[in-house]
Amino acid sequence: MNLDAYRIADEPFYQPTGDEIAIFTAAFSERLPVMLKGPTGCGKTRFVEHMAWRLGKPLITVAAHEDMTASDLAGRFLLDPGGTAWHDGPLTQAVRFGAICYLDEIVEARQDTTVVIHPLTDARRILPLEKRNEIVAAHPDFQLTISYNPGYQSAIKDLKESTKQRFLAIDFGYPAPAVEAAIISREAGTDNALAGLLVAIGERSRNLQGHGLDEGASTRMLIHAGRLVRAGLPLQLAVRSSIVLPITDNPDIRDALSAAIEACLP
Amino acid sequence: MSPDAATIVLPTLQQDAPTRRLHALMRPRETTWPLFRATWDGLVARFGDDEIACWVAGMLRLVDVNAGPSCFVAFWSLCATHPADDGIAPLIAAADAGAEICRHAGAPAATAAIAAAPTARRLLGLPAMPRWWQIMENLAREAPESVGTVAKHLIEILTANDVDDFGHFVAAGLKAAAGSKQRRLNFFALQDELARRLIERPAAGVGFAETEAATKAFVTSLWGVPPLLRNLPTDLGQTQQRRVSLAAPLIRMPAFYRGVEGDAARALYKAAAAHAQAHLLFGGPRFPVGTLKPLQLALVTLIEDARVETLAMRQLPGLRRLWAPYHVAQPNGAATAPMLLARLARALFDPAHPDDDGFVGKGRAMFQAAQSRIADPTLSREIGMLLGNDLGQMRVQFNARTYVVEPLYRDDGLGLWDFGDSAPTSKETLELTVSAARTEPTEAPDSRDAPADPNAADDAIARARPVAADPRGTVVARYPEWDQAYGIERPDWTTVREVAARRGDPRTIEHALDQAQMLRNRIAQLVRGVRVGRPVRLKRQFDGHDFDIDAMIDAGISLRMKRDAEPRIFRASAPQHRDLSVLLLIDISQSTRDRLASGASILDVERLAVAVLAEAMDALGDPFCLLAFASNGRDDVQVTAVKSFAEPYRADCIGRLAGLSSGLSTRLGTALRHAGASIAPARTLRKLVIVLTDGEPSDIDTAQTDLVEDARRAAAGLRRRGIDSFGVVLDPGGITAASRIFGRGNTMLVPRVEDLPGQLSGLYFRLARR
Repeated sequence: MNLDAYRIADEPFYQPTGDEIAIFTAAFSERLPVMLKGPTGCGKTRFVEHMAWRLGKPLITVAAHEDMTASDLAGRFLLDPGGTAWHDGPLTQAVRFGAICYLDEIVEARQDTTVVIHPLTDARRILPLEKRNEIVAAHPDFQLTISYNPGYQSAIKDLKESTKQRFLAIDFGYPAPAVEAAIISREAGTDNALAGLLVAIGERSRNLQGHGLDEGASTRMLIHAGRLVRAGLPLQLAVRSSIVLPITDNPDIRDALSAAIEACLP
Repeated sequence: MSPDAATIVLPTLQQDAPTRRLHALMRPRETTWPLFRATWDGLVARFGDDEIACWVAGMLRLVDVNAGPSCFVAFWSLCATHPADDGIAPLIAAADAGAEICRHAGAPAATAAIAAAPTARRLLGLPAMPRWWQIMENLAREAPESVGTVAKHLIEILTANDVDDFGHFVAAGLKAAAGSKQRRLNFFALQDELARRLIERPAAGVGFAETEAATKAFVTSLWGVPPLLRNLPTDLGQTQQRRVSLAAPLIRMPAFYRGVEGDAARALYKAAAAHAQAHLLFGGPRFPVGTLKPLQLALVTLIEDARVETLAMRQLPGLRRLWAPYHVAQPNGAATAPMLLARLARALFDPAHPDDDGFVGKGRAMFQAAQSRIADPTLSREIGMLLGNDLGQMRVQFNARTYVVEPLYRDDGLGLWDFGDSAPTSKETLELTVSAARTEPTEAPDSRDAPADPNAADDAIARARPVAADPRGTVVARYPEWDQAYGIERPDWTTVREVAARRGDPRTIEHALDQAQMLRNRIAQLVRGVRVGRPVRLKRQFDGHDFDIDAMIDAGISLRMKRDAEPRIFRASAPQHRDLSVLLLIDISQSTRDRLASGASILDVERLAVAVLAEAMDALGDPFCLLAFASNGRDDVQVTAVKSFAEPYRADCIGRLAGLSSGLSTRLGTALRHAGASIAPARTLRKLVIVLTDGEPSDIDTAQTDLVEDARRAAAGLRRRGIDSFGVVLDPGGITAASRIFGRGNTMLVPRVEDLPGQLSGLYFRLARR
């Protein structure tokens, strides 16, 4: 089967903030599974795309959700006019034909689902499909990457210890202000002054993390604000609709955040 | 007879018996006669004969209850100042009410009430007066000693309240004191926390309590450091608005900024908190006071204010917009010290603001020159001292007693100074620090231990003071209570105190459990029946991990017959999810001490029942919490946590269960509200509160019917929040009240107490299945 559809043609922009490219490259050369940790919107998905492009491998992305079963990953029999036919799931495709399989927000899936990846993440590198009575040995190019937002951590949504310990981890955080400003100004096409202001605004919301907000404004949110300004909206309005309103429904926090953002503006 | 008597204008037509009688009674009183005559003349000139006759009747009623000359004089002075447009009716009402008050509370109370009437008329308006008199009469009947006190504090009570608020205030005072005269007097003299809260709540609108959350989030958002905001004690009677007071790391904010409402108040609290936090972030160690004069202290504080604001605005330029509206000093006007200081503050805050005063200009120049070392706190002291000398030489008057920091949002400056041990002001600073360390303000010590000396009492209110730990337990919450008589919910009426559990011997319970082995076995069987997490197989699903063979064969047949195949051909499994948390509320009031025929007390049986059920719930893995409650008046509803949701059910919990002892009363409504607050955060679909009680709610300070109604509202409140409540009653006499509280379907009577353990667990399994 041809995985060309999953190849990334153009370089996705990614601004490294540390050693993550070196770590991932080393991990890939050893085909070790990788876990990307970090708050939402800080560039995890973009990083995987960038790495897939850089390594020239196809990338199969699966967004995990609560109802996802092991069959959604591995595949299932479907009924067709001739009888039943097996259809590979996205994980099996990546294993069979050699791709980077990226399981986004893995904690969203039920814990019994995630154990299906266990035989793939140790020395065996196999995927048993017991329904087909088949064992798929992983293609040499296959690599597994998962992402995981520690901010969501709760008793019911956490990785099993046996899953966690199979991965090496790269920690993502909000980039340093100057780096983040550069990213915003490149992605949103804004000037440096506005990008700096947006970073300051982002910092105000991140200060509230754990004090009324679960997470502060992500780099993605700041980029959206910048793009709204580029599209002609006044800054206050852009920030309100791209940051203050989406991030919280609590009127006190909205009020406080709006006032703090106001304090950043010259 | 007095020689002046001939000149009195007497009504000629209606000179009937009462009038003659009144005059005959008044004339011999030589000291008051001229006053009476003047009043009489004034009334006769303004009102008609019929009206005068009614007035005479009212006046005679006062005479008949022996109201005494002071009361008469008060009444006449009321008549003399009475506007003719209001008609005579209010005067007659005053006389009638005065007589009624005098009858119940004595002449001084009547005098005080009549003397206070013009104030009430001015603040409430004429239409509200009949109701006001009615409330006063009622007060005289129920709390005769308090009439004078209410009259004395009428201005404070009525400043921002209408007559209904006044009625509620008086009713609250009567209820809160629960029959204690001293507590009533404290309440009506506004020496009680609750009383102050009641009168200021409607007055102020937006205060610290309303803005705290947003203010805190705002400051946190600015600098990432959550501020420790606290409330300053109320400043009733003080003429100057209090400023924020810093007691690092605490920021103590006024409960209200008088005259600042709505969004303006919200903005002001933000401005004040941001300024205070700037001190904490950019300030240095406290300045030693040394030998500095008050004027120098004020100036150093002012320069330091400007310095930290400059630093803050360098980071966050928009703060200027937050603070600027409060700088209103104009460059003209009298060159008094407070004015000059306010102008200097503005000039430093806004370098572009024109002010050509020499002193202000010099201060501005020095501050500008020091910009290169603005991060250094010592520059405030240097500049402040130099400027203080200048101002001293200009011989402007500075009164440290009346001086308040301007503008309004800034702090009082005391927190910037280290007063050492000896300085007189240090006392206040110290007191603030000590009292600020108390996070939970309690009203009880004030009201109960108020000293007899009124001056000392005033002192105690105005200033905070260290308070010893309350032996009655830690205050964990306050809840409203329903007042059936007035049909309102009184906010923050009851106080829940958490009492540390006494440790009992867990073996007594284990022994009892062993004796009830049959029951345990039965319940263990029930537990196995509804065990958690057993997956259920779901057939004929649209989606699933495997084919459902039966469905697939049907579909295959359909396909071969060229018919549409049923697409639901998968089977799936889903874990059967038990999603239930339970809070068991155990009544341990005095009545549970009663012995049964077997020799065990009711509490013993309750304990066994709870232990059996707890075992079952623990085996099922349902989160549960065991709370015992008893009450001793509204101020002391005691709650003992036998097991919290967070801790596992282990020997400690059994020990605490064994340590429960009977005593006090049953204020069920408050206990239910507390149970609701405890179970509300549980992350389960179903939440269940089971109340185990031996009878009706009761308490020492409130009628039983009130408590039943309150508990009913509390249960309804739980239902609104999606929490089921269920009452298990041990006394057949309590079943009516329990059905009223929980609803008939949610009440179970256990007539034979010995059956409780089996029945309770049975109930649990029934409820858990629903």
